[in-house]
Amino acid sequence: MKRTIKWIAVLLVLLLGINTGCSKQAPDLKQITIAEQYGLAYAPLQIMKELRLLEKSDANLLVNWRQMGNTAAIREAMLAEEVDVGFMAIPPFLIGWDKGMEWKIAGGLSSSPVGLVSNRSEVSTIKDFTESDRIALPQPGSVQHILLSMACEKEFGDSHKLDNLLITMAHPEGMNALMAETDVTAHFTAPPYLTGELKSKENRLILSGEEVMGGEFTFIVGVATKSFHDENAEGYKAFIKALEESISFMETNKIETVEILSNAYAISKEEVEEYLDTQGVEYAAKVQGLDKFADFMKRNDYISKTPASKAEIMWDDVYYED
Amino acid sequence: MMCIMKIKKFIWIFILLILWQITALSGKVSPLIFPSLGMILKAMVHAIIQGELLSQTLFSIAIIIEGLFIGAILAFVLAIVSRMSESLNSLVETLITLAHPLPGIALLPIIILWLGTGRASIVFIIVHSVLWPLLLNLITGFRATPKVYSDVGRNIGLNRLVLLKEIHIPASLPYLISGFKIAWARAWRALISAEMVFGAVGGKGGLGWYIFKQRVFMDTAGMFAALVVIMLIGILVEEVLFERVEVLTIRRWGMTEK
Amino acid sequence: MIELLNVTKSFSKGKEKFKVLEDISFSVNKGEILCLLGASGCGKSTLLRLMGGFDLPDSGSIAMNGSKVSKPTPDSILVFQEFNQLLPWKTVLQNVIYPLKVNHKYQSDQKRREHAEKYLEMVKLEGFYHSFPHQLSGGMKQKAALARALALQPSILLMDEPFGSLDALTRQSLQTVLLESWDKTGVSIIFVTHDIQEAMEIADNTLQRPRSIGSSEYMKLYEKLYTILCEK
Ligand SMILES: Nc1ncnc2c1ncn2[C@@H]1O[C@H](COP(=O)(O)OP(=O)(O)O)[C@@H](O)[C@H]1O
Ligand SMILES: [Mg+2]
Repeated sequence: MKRTIKWIAVLLVLLLGINTGCSKQAPDLKQITIAEQYGLAYAPLQIMKELRLLEKSDANLLVNWRQMGNTAAIREAMLAEEVDVGFMAIPPFLIGWDKGMEWKIAGGLSSSPVGLVSNRSEVSTIKDFTESDRIALPQPGSVQHILLSMACEKEFGDSHKLDNLLITMAHPEGMNALMAETDVTAHFTAPPYLTGELKSKENRLILSGEEVMGGEFTFIVGVATKSFHDENAEGYKAFIKALEESISFMETNKIETVEILSNAYAISKEEVEEYLDTQGVEYAAKVQGLDKFADFMKRNDYISKTPASKAEIMWDDVYYED
Repeated sequence: MMCIMKIKKFIWIFILLILWQITALSGKVSPLIFPSLGMILKAMVHAIIQGELLSQTLFSIAIIIEGLFIGAILAFVLAIVSRMSESLNSLVETLITLAHPLPGIALLPIIILWLGTGRASIVFIIVHSVLWPLLLNLITGFRATPKVYSDVGRNIGLNRLVLLKEIHIPASLPYLISGFKIAWARAWRALISAEMVFGAVGGKGGLGWYIFKQRVFMDTAGMFAALVVIMLIGILVEEVLFERVEVLTIRRWGMTEK
Repeated sequence: MIELLNVTKSFSKGKEKFKVLEDISFSVNKGEILCLLGASGCGKSTLLRLMGGFDLPDSGSIAMNGSKVSKPTPDSILVFQEFNQLLPWKTVLQNVIYPLKVNHKYQSDQKRREHAEKYLEMVKLEGFYHSFPHQLSGGMKQKAALARALALQPSILLMDEPFGSLDALTRQSLQTVLLESWDKTGVSIIFVTHDIQEAMEIADNTLQRPRSIGSSEYMKLYEKLYTILCEK
């Protein structure tokens, strides 16, 4: 029994050690870790990386890039203070904010058409779905899921009406499943998958994000943690500056942009051009559509409160449009 | 002896729980990372009262039992086939060599193309993860059957099929039971990870789906609640079900080393 | 009743073939006890397995009651040296009843049970009917195996050093049990042992000069043995 007690003491010491270790982690000198996901919606970040705009904007800053598989992973890494700035859609950001994560939006990144594609000729609106249909989308709480729920609220007065048909799949798998004519009969996605799917005659667009939102909205925003914003003010400023530079570089140096992106994504220049020219694809630091998402999500219990003021969810100087 | 072991286990669990609570309440870690026991309990009660956690647990268990059942039948058939001739035996062994190291999750994209995203696909993955360890144990068990048992069987006039049923299967029961233990653990893992990739099927999901949903909506306490349920089921099956089966069979018959 | 004629058997060890049994001929009559005596490794078990139909001879013939032995039958039961010849998942009684059931002896369970109990009583295993084999001592296990064999009422028992792993006292009591049972049932017995003492206790008390068995080398050996035994 005495031995056991010794073990407990060791465990306790270990545990306390871990705890204090955690809290001391923060004041790493001048570093920034940025997390993104795969896709052309994150194009300005490839420009920033390639041209080393962030390093130029603050020579003392050590920059780390992380590419992650999904929004939940980015959110968890930011919670663990392994990532300072993460890019994601507005709904996952709001969910984290609602749960008490100390983070705010630092700026917009891109807008993109998103849409629901079906391969069944009988389906022309969401009203035509039957019990046997399956709608693939990235995950519950994703922007695609929230947009579909919004459409359901409008159409049926019940945002959960189609929840039973949902199936969780990353974009590429969703596209495969739709094209291979498995039981997946619809896919809520964004370019290049969206445009790819619509090239096939069997597929048609039955719902678009803009239609649901009744206007343009920001697809991807950059989110910075409070600890990074507060403890590394210069790094934060440098990041904002580099982000703006990246976006304006894309507007003014089209040819170079296409080249960089074609290399970064290992796709042809034609494909990059086609994507950049797609109706609705836009890169901008302004943030649009926040209120609509927040109101809807509160109304349907995805979050428990709406932000009382912009300052609650955005760092200073973020350009916001309703 | 057994009893003391169990009491020790309980004491350890209790200590770990206390350490957990101390860490959670120390205020040094965010409850989004380390929710307190109270929060987890609350999330569990809430999820059970809502009816979601219970029905999803049952859904998971039902799928596992289905997969285990199909996997066991296939394992028996293949084990019997492998005994029929030398070349069939090498065929079965080749199959095991090829398929056993493949994690079910790695097969997922192909399974979706073949079987779609329905229940069948999840069952398929479970069958895959259960079949090979079971088959391997069955074959080893058959091989380890003392020759004298089958000599006695032949002597009293059993034909090959009856010999298998009446001699080889009971004789390899220790291997069979440990095969089922491995299969059960693998089935759980396969199911949870498959569900976390697949999501719900036709609005019904299991525990993996539940955990995934809690994750995307950042309900850490809810996530832990589901983990606790998984652990409880594990303990129940390992320490109660399998234990009972062993006591009633191989331990009663003196077929364990212990 | 069992007759061997010019039986030969060889095994291959790696590439080499080596003869274990060469040109063996002998016969056993109904109700006789024949002891096969020989050093370990000389081929006693091999011979017994051939007689039981578990293996087939390379050449020569083995016939029982006039018909060729080609596979094991319940009419000649092999009793092994190994203690684990009982099925561990059956009780002593079930171990005896099960072969009866397989061979459709008696219609009712009740009858089979009575029959089994009779033989268990014959080998003096009263009170252990419901024990599992692992709860028995080695001697009791061999008794149970003997009861299982006798209960099937075979024409012949092939016993392969059945008491070889027992201590001297237990062995003696089992020898007595065996001889008593033989008396009651009249079964023919081929009893393999490497122990001369045991052979003398078991074998038919009228020691006959052996009929020709095996090669001339064997014959010489046998002659020697015979003189030793007769002098006693
Ligand atoms: N299945 C087998 N394959 C090869 N060799 C065997 C086999 N069975 C027995 N032998 C060999 O035959 C010889 C006789 O064995 P066995 O009949 O068991 O002897 P005993 O019973 O008299 O001790 C031994 O040398 C043994 O190694
Ligand atoms: Mg032998």
